[in-house]
Amino acid sequence: MKSRKLLAWIALAVVVAVSIVVLVVRSQPDNSPAARAARLEQQLACPVCEGQSVADSNSSQARAIRAQIPDQITKQHMSDAEIRAFYVLKYGEKMLETPSNSGMGIVAWGLPALFLILGGVGIVVAVRRWSTTPRLTATAADEDIVRRARESEHSDDDDDEPDEVPE
Amino acid sequence: MRSPIRWIALAVGVVVVAVTVVFAIQVSRRAAEVSLPRLVLEHAPAPDFTLKNLADGKAITSQQVKGKTYVVNFFNSWCIPCQQEAAALKAFYAEHKKESDFEMIGIIIDDTESVMRKYVKNNAITYPVGVDPKGTASIDFGTTGQPETYVIAPDGVAVCGNLGASTQAQLDAWLQAARSGQECVAPKK
Repeated sequence: MKSRKLLAWIALAVVVAVSIVVLVVRSQPDNSPAARAARLEQQLACPVCEGQSVADSNSSQARAIRAQIPDQITKQHMSDAEIRAFYVLKYGEKMLETPSNSGMGIVAWGLPALFLILGGVGIVVAVRRWSTTPRLTATAADEDIVRRARESEHSDDDDDEPDEVPE
Repeated sequence: MRSPIRWIALAVGVVVVAVTVVFAIQVSRRAAEVSLPRLVLEHAPAPDFTLKNLADGKAITSQQVKGKTYVVNFFNSWCIPCQQEAAALKAFYAEHKKESDFEMIGIIIDDTESVMRKYVKNNAITYPVGVDPKGTASIDFGTTGQPETYVIAPDGVAVCGNLGASTQAQLDAWLQAARSGQECVAPKK
Protein backbone atom coordinates (compact mmCIF):
# COMPACT_ATOMS: atom_id res chain seq x y z
CA MET A 1 0.00 0.00 0.00
CA LYS A 2 2.76 2.39 0.98
CA SER A 3 4.76 1.56 -2.14
CA ARG A 4 1.71 2.29 -4.34
CA LYS A 5 1.31 5.70 -2.72
CA LEU A 6 5.00 6.37 -3.19
CA LEU A 7 4.78 5.40 -6.85
CA ALA A 8 1.90 7.80 -7.34
CA TRP A 9 3.90 10.67 -5.82
CA ILE A 10 6.92 9.82 -7.96
CA ALA A 11 4.75 9.77 -11.10
CA LEU A 12 3.30 13.17 -10.18
CA ALA A 13 6.77 14.61 -9.59
CA VAL A 14 7.95 13.30 -12.98
CA VAL A 15 4.96 14.84 -14.76
CA VAL A 16 5.55 18.21 -13.05
CA ALA A 17 9.27 18.14 -13.85
CA VAL A 18 8.70 17.28 -17.51
CA SER A 19 6.06 20.02 -17.80
CA ILE A 20 8.44 22.58 -16.37
CA VAL A 21 11.22 21.55 -18.74
CA VAL A 22 8.90 21.72 -21.77
CA LEU A 23 7.59 25.14 -20.72
CA VAL A 24 11.09 26.50 -20.19
CA VAL A 25 12.33 25.19 -23.52
CA ARG A 26 9.26 26.45 -25.41
CA SER A 27 9.38 29.88 -23.81
CA GLN A 28 12.83 30.68 -25.19
CA PRO A 29 12.22 33.75 -27.34
CA ASP A 30 12.74 33.76 -31.09
CA ASN A 31 15.67 36.11 -31.70
CA SER A 32 15.39 36.53 -35.45
CA PRO A 33 15.37 40.20 -36.56
CA ALA A 34 11.73 40.01 -37.59
CA ALA A 35 10.69 38.47 -34.29
CA ARG A 36 12.72 41.02 -32.33
CA ALA A 37 11.18 43.87 -34.29
CA ALA A 38 7.67 42.53 -33.71
CA ARG A 39 8.38 42.08 -30.00
CA LEU A 40 9.81 45.59 -29.65
CA GLU A 41 6.83 47.09 -31.47
CA GLN A 42 4.59 45.44 -28.87
CA GLN A 43 6.78 46.60 -25.99
CA LEU A 44 6.83 50.24 -27.06
CA ALA A 45 3.80 52.45 -26.53
CA CYS A 46 2.63 54.78 -29.27
CA PRO A 47 4.01 58.22 -28.29
CA VAL A 48 0.94 60.11 -29.47
CA CYS A 49 -2.00 57.85 -28.76
CA GLU A 50 -3.13 56.58 -25.38
CA GLY A 51 -3.42 52.87 -24.86
CA GLN A 52 -1.93 51.65 -28.11
CA SER A 53 1.38 50.06 -28.81
CA VAL A 54 3.59 51.04 -31.70
CA ALA A 55 2.51 47.79 -33.34
CA ASP A 56 -1.18 48.71 -33.19
CA SER A 57 -1.12 52.44 -33.86
CA ASN A 58 -1.48 54.06 -37.28
CA SER A 59 -0.08 57.44 -36.26
CA SER A 60 2.80 58.82 -38.30
CA GLN A 61 5.17 58.56 -35.32
CA ALA A 62 4.27 54.90 -34.79
CA ARG A 63 4.72 54.17 -38.50
CA ALA A 64 8.09 55.93 -38.45
CA ILE A 65 9.20 53.92 -35.41
CA ARG A 66 8.08 50.66 -37.06
CA ALA A 67 10.15 51.65 -40.11
CA GLN A 68 13.15 52.56 -37.98
CA ILE A 69 13.36 49.50 -35.72
CA PRO A 70 14.44 46.98 -38.42
CA ASP A 71 17.32 49.29 -39.40
CA GLN A 72 18.33 49.65 -35.78
CA ILE A 73 18.44 45.85 -35.47
CA THR A 74 20.11 44.90 -38.74
CA LYS A 75 22.23 47.94 -39.66
CA GLN A 76 23.08 49.55 -36.35
CA HIS A 77 23.18 46.19 -34.49
CA MET A 78 21.43 47.65 -31.47
CA SER A 79 20.22 45.30 -28.76
CA ASP A 80 16.58 45.25 -27.64
CA ALA A 81 17.51 47.13 -24.47
CA GLU A 82 19.41 49.77 -26.47
CA ILE A 83 16.47 50.26 -28.82
CA ARG A 84 14.04 50.63 -25.93
CA ALA A 85 16.43 53.08 -24.24
CA PHE A 86 16.67 55.06 -27.48
CA TYR A 87 12.94 55.71 -27.58
CA VAL A 88 12.74 56.32 -23.84
CA LEU A 89 15.38 59.01 -24.35
CA LYS A 90 13.22 60.61 -27.06
CA TYR A 91 9.81 60.28 -25.47
CA GLY A 92 10.28 59.36 -21.85
CA GLU A 93 9.34 56.38 -19.71
CA LYS A 94 5.80 56.46 -21.08
CA MET A 95 7.19 54.72 -24.17
CA LEU A 96 7.45 51.47 -22.28
CA GLU A 97 4.32 49.32 -22.17
CA THR A 98 5.57 47.82 -18.93
CA PRO A 99 6.97 49.97 -16.12
CA SER A 100 10.72 50.25 -15.83
CA ASN A 101 12.48 48.68 -12.89
CA SER A 102 13.80 51.97 -11.56
CA GLY A 103 12.34 55.17 -10.17
CA MET A 104 8.52 55.24 -10.00
CA GLY A 105 8.44 51.94 -11.87
CA ILE A 106 9.61 50.25 -8.69
CA VAL A 107 6.31 51.26 -7.08
CA ALA A 108 4.32 49.57 -9.86
CA TRP A 109 6.29 46.36 -9.49
CA GLY A 110 6.67 46.47 -5.74
CA LEU A 111 3.13 47.33 -4.65
CA PRO A 112 1.46 44.09 -5.76
CA ALA A 113 4.26 42.09 -4.15
CA LEU A 114 3.94 44.11 -0.97
CA PHE A 115 0.17 43.58 -0.82
CA LEU A 116 0.64 39.89 -1.52
CA ILE A 117 3.08 39.57 1.35
CA LEU A 118 0.89 41.60 3.72
CA GLY A 119 -2.19 39.63 2.70
CA GLY A 120 -0.36 36.33 3.17
CA VAL A 121 0.88 37.36 6.60
CA GLY A 122 -2.65 38.42 7.52
CA ILE A 123 -4.08 35.06 6.44
CA VAL A 124 -1.39 33.15 8.35
CA VAL A 125 -2.01 35.18 11.50
CA ALA A 126 -5.78 34.73 11.22
CA VAL A 127 -5.56 30.97 10.65
CA ARG A 128 -3.18 30.53 13.56
CA ARG A 129 -5.48 32.47 15.83
CA TRP A 130 -8.46 30.37 14.84
CA SER A 131 -6.61 27.12 15.30
CA THR A 132 -5.07 27.97 18.67
CA THR A 133 -8.12 29.56 20.30
CA PRO A 134 -9.17 26.91 22.83
CA ARG A 135 -12.65 25.44 22.82
CA LEU A 136 -14.51 26.54 25.88
CA THR A 137 -15.25 23.83 28.45
CA ALA A 138 -17.57 24.19 31.41
CA THR A 139 -15.96 24.42 34.82
CA ALA A 140 -17.44 22.92 37.97
CA ALA A 141 -18.72 26.34 38.99
CA ASP A 142 -20.46 26.75 35.60
CA GLU A 143 -22.17 23.36 35.95
CA ASP A 144 -23.29 24.26 39.48
CA ILE A 145 -24.89 27.45 38.17
CA VAL A 146 -26.76 25.53 35.47
CA ARG A 147 -27.90 22.87 37.95
CA ARG A 148 -29.26 25.43 40.38
CA ALA A 149 -31.02 27.28 37.56
CA ARG A 150 -32.70 24.06 36.42
CA GLU A 151 -33.73 23.21 39.97
CA SER A 152 -35.33 26.59 40.43
CA GLU A 153 -37.23 26.12 37.15
CA HIS A 154 -38.58 22.78 38.33
CA SER A 155 -39.64 24.23 41.68
CA ASP A 156 -41.45 27.06 39.85
CA ASP A 157 -43.25 24.48 37.74
CA ASP A 158 -44.30 22.59 40.86
CA ASP A 159 -45.74 25.81 42.32
CA ASP A 160 -47.80 26.40 39.17
CA GLU A 161 -49.49 22.96 39.25
CA PRO A 162 -52.92 23.11 40.89
CA ASP A 163 -53.26 21.64 44.42
CA GLU A 164 -54.79 18.20 44.59
CA VAL A 165 -58.42 18.36 45.32
CA PRO A 166 -59.19 16.38 48.51
CA GLU A 167 -61.71 13.55 48.06
CA MET B 1 -2.74 41.68 23.48
CA ARG B 2 -3.58 43.88 20.49
CA SER B 3 -4.70 42.12 17.40
CA PRO B 4 -1.84 41.91 14.85
CA ILE B 5 -4.42 42.09 12.07
CA ARG B 6 -5.11 45.67 13.07
CA TRP B 7 -1.44 46.53 12.72
CA ILE B 8 -1.33 44.88 9.30
CA ALA B 9 -4.43 46.80 8.21
CA LEU B 10 -2.88 50.02 9.53
CA ALA B 11 0.34 49.33 7.65
CA VAL B 12 -1.60 48.71 4.42
CA GLY B 13 -3.54 51.92 4.95
CA VAL B 14 -0.38 53.95 5.52
CA VAL B 15 1.24 52.49 2.38
CA VAL B 16 -1.87 53.24 0.28
CA VAL B 17 -2.03 56.84 1.52
CA ALA B 18 1.69 57.39 0.94
CA VAL B 19 1.56 55.98 -2.59
CA THR B 20 -1.55 58.03 -3.38
CA VAL B 21 0.20 61.22 -2.27
CA VAL B 22 3.28 60.41 -4.35
CA PHE B 23 1.16 59.68 -7.42
CA ALA B 24 -0.84 62.88 -6.93
CA ILE B 25 2.39 64.90 -6.86
CA GLN B 26 3.67 63.12 -9.96
CA VAL B 27 0.41 63.70 -11.84
CA SER B 28 0.30 67.40 -10.99
CA ARG B 29 3.93 67.80 -11.99
CA ARG B 30 3.26 66.03 -15.27
CA ALA B 31 0.26 68.26 -15.93
CA ALA B 32 2.50 71.31 -15.69
CA GLU B 33 5.03 69.80 -18.07
CA VAL B 34 2.54 68.62 -20.67
CA SER B 35 2.51 71.93 -22.64
CA LEU B 36 6.26 71.88 -23.30
CA PRO B 37 8.14 69.65 -25.71
CA ARG B 38 10.29 67.08 -23.99
CA LEU B 39 13.46 68.35 -25.68
CA VAL B 40 12.84 71.79 -24.16
CA LEU B 41 11.97 70.35 -20.76
CA GLU B 42 15.17 68.35 -20.78
CA HIS B 43 17.16 71.34 -22.04
CA ALA B 44 18.68 68.93 -24.53
CA PRO B 45 20.70 69.57 -27.68
CA ALA B 46 18.63 69.67 -30.84
CA PRO B 47 19.19 66.57 -32.95
CA ASP B 48 20.86 66.66 -36.34
CA PHE B 49 18.52 66.44 -39.28
CA THR B 50 18.60 66.19 -43.06
CA LEU B 51 15.45 67.09 -44.92
CA LYS B 52 14.41 67.59 -48.52
CA ASN B 53 13.37 71.15 -49.33
CA LEU B 54 9.73 71.04 -50.47
CA ALA B 55 10.34 73.89 -52.93
CA ASP B 56 13.41 72.72 -54.82
CA GLY B 57 14.30 69.25 -53.51
CA LYS B 58 17.67 70.41 -52.16
CA ALA B 59 18.88 69.37 -48.74
CA ILE B 60 18.07 71.31 -45.58
CA THR B 61 20.46 70.19 -42.88
CA SER B 62 21.13 71.08 -39.28
CA GLN B 63 24.71 71.94 -40.31
CA GLN B 64 23.37 74.87 -42.35
CA VAL B 65 21.88 76.50 -39.24
CA LYS B 66 24.63 75.60 -36.79
CA GLY B 67 25.64 78.54 -34.61
CA LYS B 68 22.44 80.46 -35.36
CA THR B 69 19.32 80.91 -33.34
CA TYR B 70 16.74 79.01 -35.26
CA VAL B 71 13.13 77.98 -34.99
CA VAL B 72 11.83 74.58 -36.04
CA ASN B 73 8.10 74.18 -36.51
CA PHE B 74 6.50 70.79 -37.13
CA PHE B 75 3.18 71.22 -38.91
CA ASN B 76 0.85 69.99 -41.61
CA SER B 77 -2.04 71.22 -43.72
CA TRP B 78 -4.91 69.61 -41.86
CA CYS B 79 -4.37 70.30 -38.19
CA ILE B 80 -6.50 73.19 -36.95
CA PRO B 81 -3.93 74.73 -34.54
CA CYS B 82 -1.39 74.63 -37.41
CA GLN B 83 -3.79 76.71 -39.49
CA GLN B 84 -4.44 79.01 -36.54
CA GLU B 85 -0.77 79.82 -36.02
CA ALA B 86 0.15 80.08 -39.73
CA ALA B 87 -0.31 83.86 -39.84
CA ALA B 88 1.75 84.37 -36.69
CA LEU B 89 4.59 82.27 -38.06
CA LYS B 90 4.54 84.17 -41.34
CA ALA B 91 4.63 87.55 -39.60
CA PHE B 92 7.37 86.39 -37.22
CA TYR B 93 9.53 85.17 -40.11
CA ALA B 94 8.94 88.36 -42.11
CA GLU B 95 10.10 90.41 -39.11
CA HIS B 96 13.36 88.55 -38.56
CA LYS B 97 14.36 86.95 -41.87
CA LYS B 98 16.94 89.56 -42.68
CA GLU B 99 18.83 88.98 -39.42
CA SER B 100 21.98 87.03 -40.22
CA ASP B 101 21.92 84.94 -37.05
CA PHE B 102 18.31 83.81 -37.48
CA GLU B 103 16.75 80.93 -39.35
CA MET B 104 13.39 79.24 -39.43
CA ILE B 105 12.47 75.83 -40.81
CA GLY B 106 9.09 74.21 -41.15
CA ILE B 107 9.00 70.41 -41.13
CA ILE B 108 6.06 68.57 -42.58
CA ILE B 109 4.64 65.85 -40.41
CA ASP B 110 1.98 63.35 -41.44
CA ASP B 111 1.02 64.90 -44.76
CA THR B 112 1.72 64.48 -48.47
CA GLU B 113 4.02 66.65 -50.54
CA SER B 114 1.42 67.59 -53.15
CA VAL B 115 -1.08 68.76 -50.51
CA MET B 116 1.65 70.63 -48.65
CA ARG B 117 2.78 72.42 -51.81
CA LYS B 118 -0.74 73.78 -52.24
CA TYR B 119 -0.90 74.71 -48.56
CA VAL B 120 2.44 76.51 -48.68
CA LYS B 121 1.41 78.38 -51.82
CA ASN B 122 -2.06 79.30 -50.53
CA ASN B 123 -0.64 80.57 -47.26
CA ALA B 124 2.29 82.35 -48.90
CA ILE B 125 4.81 80.60 -46.64
CA THR B 126 8.28 81.84 -47.55
CA TYR B 127 10.47 80.14 -44.93
CA PRO B 128 12.08 76.85 -45.92
CA VAL B 129 9.80 73.85 -45.51
CA GLY B 130 11.39 70.43 -45.30
CA VAL B 131 10.02 67.00 -46.04
CA ASP B 132 10.74 64.22 -43.54
CA PRO B 133 9.44 61.14 -45.34
CA LYS B 134 10.69 58.54 -42.88
CA GLY B 135 9.71 60.59 -39.84
CA THR B 136 13.30 60.51 -38.61
CA ALA B 137 13.39 64.17 -37.62
CA SER B 138 10.01 63.77 -35.92
CA ILE B 139 11.30 60.89 -33.80
CA ASP B 140 14.64 62.57 -33.09
CA PHE B 141 12.89 65.69 -31.84
CA GLY B 142 10.45 63.50 -29.88
CA THR B 143 7.36 65.12 -31.35
CA THR B 144 4.03 63.92 -30.04
CA GLY B 145 1.71 65.82 -32.35
CA GLN B 146 1.45 69.03 -34.29
CA PRO B 147 2.10 71.86 -34.28
CA GLU B 148 5.24 71.73 -32.22
CA THR B 149 7.74 74.57 -32.15
CA TYR B 150 11.32 74.50 -30.96
CA VAL B 151 13.64 77.47 -30.53
CA ILE B 152 17.29 76.46 -30.64
CA ALA B 153 19.97 78.67 -29.16
CA PRO B 154 23.31 79.24 -30.93
CA ASP B 155 24.90 76.54 -28.78
CA GLY B 156 22.48 74.01 -30.22
CA VAL B 157 20.33 73.57 -27.12
CA ALA B 158 16.53 73.63 -27.34
CA VAL B 159 15.69 76.39 -24.87
CA CYS B 160 12.12 77.33 -25.69
CA GLY B 161 9.18 75.78 -27.42
CA ASN B 162 5.54 74.93 -27.42
CA LEU B 163 3.09 72.11 -27.97
CA GLY B 164 0.18 73.67 -29.85
CA ALA B 165 -0.39 76.95 -31.66
CA SER B 166 2.04 79.76 -30.92
CA THR B 167 1.51 83.51 -31.16
CA GLN B 168 3.89 86.04 -32.68
CA ALA B 169 4.45 87.56 -29.25
CA GLN B 170 5.49 84.17 -27.85
CA LEU B 171 7.84 83.54 -30.77
CA ASP B 172 9.44 86.98 -30.33
CA ALA B 173 9.89 86.39 -26.60
CA TRP B 174 11.45 82.97 -27.15
CA LEU B 175 13.81 84.31 -29.81
CA GLN B 176 14.86 87.09 -27.47
CA ALA B 177 15.44 84.62 -24.63
CA ALA B 178 17.43 82.22 -26.84
CA ARG B 179 19.65 85.01 -28.14
CA SER B 180 20.35 86.54 -24.76
CA GLY B 181 21.17 83.24 -23.11
CA GLN B 182 18.14 83.32 -20.88
CA GLU B 183 16.11 80.23 -20.43
CA CYS B 184 12.43 80.00 -21.11
CA VAL B 185 12.14 77.11 -18.70
CA ALA B 186 14.50 75.89 -15.97
CA PRO B 187 16.35 72.78 -17.14
CA LYS B 188 14.98 69.56 -15.69
CA LYS B 189 17.50 68.02 -13.30
